[in-house]
Amino acid sequence: MLASKNRDISLHHNNEKQSLWRFLSLYIFLVIVLVSLLSIFYYQSQEELMFSNMRTKLSQYANEQVKNLKILHHYFPAKSQYPRDERFQSAIYDIERVFIFSTLKNNNIDFDKEIYRVGDKIHFVKYLDDYYLGAKYLFIEVDEDRAWHHETIIQIIAIGTVALIILGIFGIFFVKIFLRPMRNSIELLDNFIKDTTHELNTPISAILANIEMMDTEIMAQKNIKKLRRINVAAKTVSHLYQDLTYLVLGHQTPSRDEWIDLRELIAARVEYFSLLADSKKIEIALDLQERKILIDSAKIARVVDNLISNAIKYNKRAGKIKIILKEEYFLVADTGIGIEKDKVAAIFDRYSRFNSSEGGFGIGLNIVKSILNEYNFDVRVNSILHQGTTIKIIFPKEAPNE
Amino acid sequence: MNKYISIFILLLLFNQTVIAKEDNIYTRNCIPCHEYLPSSLERMFMSYLKVYSGELTLKESLKAFLRKPDKEFSVMSDLFLDRFDVKEPTTLTEAELKEAVDIYWRKYNIRNKLH
Repeated sequence: MLASKNRDISLHHNNEKQSLWRFLSLYIFLVIVLVSLLSIFYYQSQEELMFSNMRTKLSQYANEQVKNLKILHHYFPAKSQYPRDERFQSAIYDIERVFIFSTLKNNNIDFDKEIYRVGDKIHFVKYLDDYYLGAKYLFIEVDEDRAWHHETIIQIIAIGTVALIILGIFGIFFVKIFLRPMRNSIELLDNFIKDTTHELNTPISAILANIEMMDTEIMAQKNIKKLRRINVAAKTVSHLYQDLTYLVLGHQTPSRDEWIDLRELIAARVEYFSLLADSKKIEIALDLQERKILIDSAKIARVVDNLISNAIKYNKRAGKIKIILKEEYFLVADTGIGIEKDKVAAIFDRYSRFNSSEGGFGIGLNIVKSILNEYNFDVRVNSILHQGTTIKIIFPKEAPNE
Repeated sequence: MNKYISIFILLLLFNQTVIAKEDNIYTRNCIPCHEYLPSSLERMFMSYLKVYSGELTLKESLKAFLRKPDKEFSVMSDLFLDRFDVKEPTTLTEAELKEAVDIYWRKYNIRNKLH
């Protein structure tokens, strides 16, 4: 069965896109913060302008009211009607801020501000030099004209949107410029791997074929041991070669999905890696149930190989590996070095390696992830530093099982 | 009906008599001197109010002036002071002075009189 997968599984481009989006998101966030701050400053300046205009008018009202208070003071108590004006409301308080009289609609007053907004009213405070009727503070109240507010909001939205669009376009250019060095270095590494891969195939095949052909029965025990070591080393390089081949070519070719007996495949791969495991005295425990799966054989082999080889590579000497295959999942658990909790999320990133003592390019798990993504397999990683790592692949519920 | 009117008039007369005979530290010590002055106690209160504004400030300033009268701290005009000079220091005790000033404040305070 030939199934063409249109999905872009190139994590190389995904990583670049991810970085681009991260940079762009940060840039846009900062631009929004900047535009918001400028909008706030602009709004405040417009508000200040409104207060400044109001101050002149209300100061004039206050002066008129002071004259009226002076007249009333002179004629009190013969005249005792507090002066009123239809243009404004007013109130008087003495030097101890004790209420004397008020016609204010909103009595929520502030003695320490010259002009301020309270609800839908504007209050202006005049400090009297002569305390007519004992008044030190004269409050003048008028309704606020909100026209300036609506006008300012419309201006902010219009100018802000244009500024965001222009700065966003600039941002895309900037991000591309910033990411260029990173892209160059990744391309350089990719090209190096591509070139190296072409050169590895023939010598590795030759080494492995010749090891298989050697007659160990006539060989001295000492040489058999040496041959085993060569075999292990050659298989390690072969495994790396297969990963690199997949990386360079694998995802460019269409998948050939077929029914694979996963139990059989795992058992075969365990057998293949047994020499490698034996060299570190690692014990592999298998608990495999019957499970068939529709998948590209080369790809599922890459997944199984990488999980087993990692479990061996990063295990302690005389450690243990547990491999479980059930109807719902496939699990590989080791008793190895483990990974720090905060680094677990990054283990599938390309070229990410958490232990410099072991070789490798850091591409194995990246390949695993790309294949699992292609087939919608869920993967869960549980790792404890110095105790071990468990990787569990959960098959989708709709995954066909013959 | 006439009986009720008679009783009302009698009560009114009695009340007036009581008011006329109202005897306190203020009426005894302030009114007798001020009734011969051209500026009434009420106008003087308004002058104090214009200068001192608040109740506590006004009362404390007035008491300080009465204890130690000084042209410099008087609220009256220069013309008035040239003609009548400042009064003699009060002979009232601290408590009597306080009581007199409180009565003065209550009598002429403008609060609740505006409408």
